[in-house]
Amino acid sequence: MNPRNSLMIFGGGGLAIYALFFASSYDQRLLTLSGIYVVLVLGYQFIFGHAGALSLAQGAFFGLGAYTSGILGSQYGAEFLVTFPLSVAAAVTIAVLVSIPVLRLQSHYFALATLALSQLLLLIAINWEPVTGGANGLSGVPPVRILGWQLARGLPLLSFVWIIAGLAMLVSYWQINTARKAAFTVMRETPLATAAFGIDRSMLRFRAFLLSAAFGGAAGALFVHTNRVVSPETLSFGVMITCLTMTVVGGRFGIPGAVIGALLLTHLPEWFRGLQEYYLVAVGVLLLATVVFAPNGIEGLLRFGKSSPKPSAGTATDEKSEPADIGGSELIATHLSKRYGGVRALDDVNLRIQPGEIVGVIGPNGAGKTTLANILTGSATSDAGTVTLAGHDITHAPEYQIAQLGLTRTFQTPQLPADLSVRDIIRIAQADRPAANTDAVLRNFNLLAVADMPCGTIAHGIRRRVEVCRAVAAEPGALVLDEPGAGLSPEEQGEISALCRTLAENGLAILLIDHNVAFLKPLVTRMVCMESGRIIADGTPEDVLADPRVQDAYFGVTTL
Amino acid sequence: MPFPLGAAYALVALGFVLVLNATTAVNFAHGESVVAGGFTAVALTFFLPPDLRIPGLILLPGVVVVTAVLGLAIGALAYLPIRNRPPVSVFVTTIAVGMIVANGLNATFGAAPRTAPPLIGVGTIDLIGVSISRQSLVIIATACVLIGGLAIVLQRTQLGRQFRACSQDPEMARAIGIRLTRITLLSFALGTAFAGAAGLLLAHQFFISPADGAPLILKAYIAVVIGGWGSLRGAALGALLIAVFEVGVAAISSQPLAEGLLYVIVLVVLFLRPQGLLGEPQQVRA
Repeated sequence: MNPRNSLMIFGGGGLAIYALFFASSYDQRLLTLSGIYVVLVLGYQFIFGHAGALSLAQGAFFGLGAYTSGILGSQYGAEFLVTFPLSVAAAVTIAVLVSIPVLRLQSHYFALATLALSQLLLLIAINWEPVTGGANGLSGVPPVRILGWQLARGLPLLSFVWIIAGLAMLVSYWQINTARKAAFTVMRETPLATAAFGIDRSMLRFRAFLLSAAFGGAAGALFVHTNRVVSPETLSFGVMITCLTMTVVGGRFGIPGAVIGALLLTHLPEWFRGLQEYYLVAVGVLLLATVVFAPNGIEGLLRFGKSSPKPSAGTATDEKSEPADIGGSELIATHLSKRYGGVRALDDVNLRIQPGEIVGVIGPNGAGKTTLANILTGSATSDAGTVTLAGHDITHAPEYQIAQLGLTRTFQTPQLPADLSVRDIIRIAQADRPAANTDAVLRNFNLLAVADMPCGTIAHGIRRRVEVCRAVAAEPGALVLDEPGAGLSPEEQGEISALCRTLAENGLAILLIDHNVAFLKPLVTRMVCMESGRIIADGTPEDVLADPRVQDAYFGVTTL
Repeated sequence: MPFPLGAAYALVALGFVLVLNATTAVNFAHGESVVAGGFTAVALTFFLPPDLRIPGLILLPGVVVVTAVLGLAIGALAYLPIRNRPPVSVFVTTIAVGMIVANGLNATFGAAPRTAPPLIGVGTIDLIGVSISRQSLVIIATACVLIGGLAIVLQRTQLGRQFRACSQDPEMARAIGIRLTRITLLSFALGTAFAGAAGLLLAHQFFISPADGAPLILKAYIAVVIGGWGSLRGAALGALLIAVFEVGVAAISSQPLAEGLLYVIVLVVLFLRPQGLLGEPQQVRA
């Protein structure tokens, strides 16, 4: 057993013995509270940890759950089996409603919008006195009662809360399986490339946000049935900060982190009693210091026994695998136009790339090459015109669907999460192709030797190859390569050229954007030159390079 | 009358944008910096002879110095060590600083709202037939002087040119010999001092309490969203609009309703225009 697991088991066992035999009734209350916070923090890990979005609404979901249970319990005498599911439902409903405007926002706007939601709910709780009891809140919330059987304070309540926390851990474990964890990592660390992996970013964020809300609502319900009163305090920014601190200090990603953070932060006031009112100042210092010195929290510090990359089953076999006969898809762009403000980035662009063809696009900076790549692959939308892939109209398809349909791309700067291994990257790209053989693809790209190295540690030239391999791994019919040769040595460029030729022989339709004419000329079957958003020449490399307009637009600048 | 409130909000929003432009990071402690400015004024009052009725405006240099030092601390402790990490990290560290400031003030002064001495006397002044309270007039005048000073520094001085260079292209600015770290720290000092000055201006007429940080940062944020991310002029305009809205709605209904409506509007605006009201959509290049 690795030391980390034994530490967890001893820690958990020790805690259970302490709770059962040694804890005073006050200690038991603190442990109960910790269990509630474990649920809250596990929820927050989905959106803040895995999805990497700073939600400031986790306290609001907690408060929503608290008020739902509080009102139903104190005013209507509802039982736990009624209040608990409805509290979860209330939080999830609000999360669904605000996710429409909020979830597509970028980081700071997302934080702002979720903070605005929290402040709004707090204002409502304080001012809607007939229902919420105003600033004083509502007292007389019944304890946890299930089918007429009432839970006593102390050990029974403590055990009940931790059973719910255990269930929350199971849900969290089940939701964050290996494949989804990797997808979250890609989304967090290389947001631009998420869709190129065929990952639906908005669905993933939506799931994380709803899960965080559900857990928040559940924690709020538990809190109110434990405390027996509900007040605006449950909706205050303080709850949010407590949750954030627990998550950062314990750890953003794992169940042990949630438990450690919740236990530590509920017990700190006891240990820091000498500080009196300045206790929260100390917590602030702790939060600041953790982010600066231990960005992955205490859980990150405990990863001494992190499993080393395991040799994969397929590595040993040396069968010569032929690349699967993928077959290509014809990619056609007609009348594409795009304006950015007053600039015509694309102006009536028509382009057809047949299976087996390598079409090179050249042109000076700002000619519209990258815009063309973005529009073809769906990361930007055109103002007019259509794009079809193997006869299907993909003009308005979302980026991740275009990747799934078989048009993938690479980026000027390889977009590879630093902590994932090369093999992980290829596996994620193949998530929709269960039959695909990861090792065969890695072997074809001569990447088996580095397969288990984290992408952050490999050389630039190899990263470029991984990036192309990632795009090919999903077995696309067409490929858009944005400056695959940039920054590479002549030898490395030769390797990329050879790869492209093999792929084209296998039937892929390839669009290749590059400045480097020496690199493109021997490689491509056709060349296209762009200037100011228009295609000014299209033909064999020789013809295009001899075209006076091309020389004017392109070389005129450089030979001056 | 919305203008004194708008003038103070404008100072807050401008300070926020100054830091934003220098670092592309959101300083979440900015709301607490306003609160810190207000409480610095309250604290400094203890050192003034109580019987002389010295105008509160005299405290301005003291407040500016104290909050500028606070800004330096925020920059040095919460931004510089993690400047290469994802923006969310800076969010969290500045939230931590805000927490330290708010709870430190709460422990020292208590949670109840405090008031600083009046800026210049009390009563009203007759201005072309309209009677305006002296307080309001001084708030507006002080804010105008500070904003005007900032505009001159940014437009006319070498330091201002360095500020603008760093916000437009930090790598290039560094390459031509601008000391990026120094400009970054100066931005934190200046931005936070603006927040502090706003705190002094707000602290007499509108009271100040340690928990006021969250609504204040939200309003600065909203002003920037309305005015376009990173635009100084837009932020000032946005701040004025917020104040007009808040005072206007509060006059016909109630303060909580005005504030609540403001937050609803933000959510609606973000829904309709995720890039802000006056902002241009940003293009991302890989």
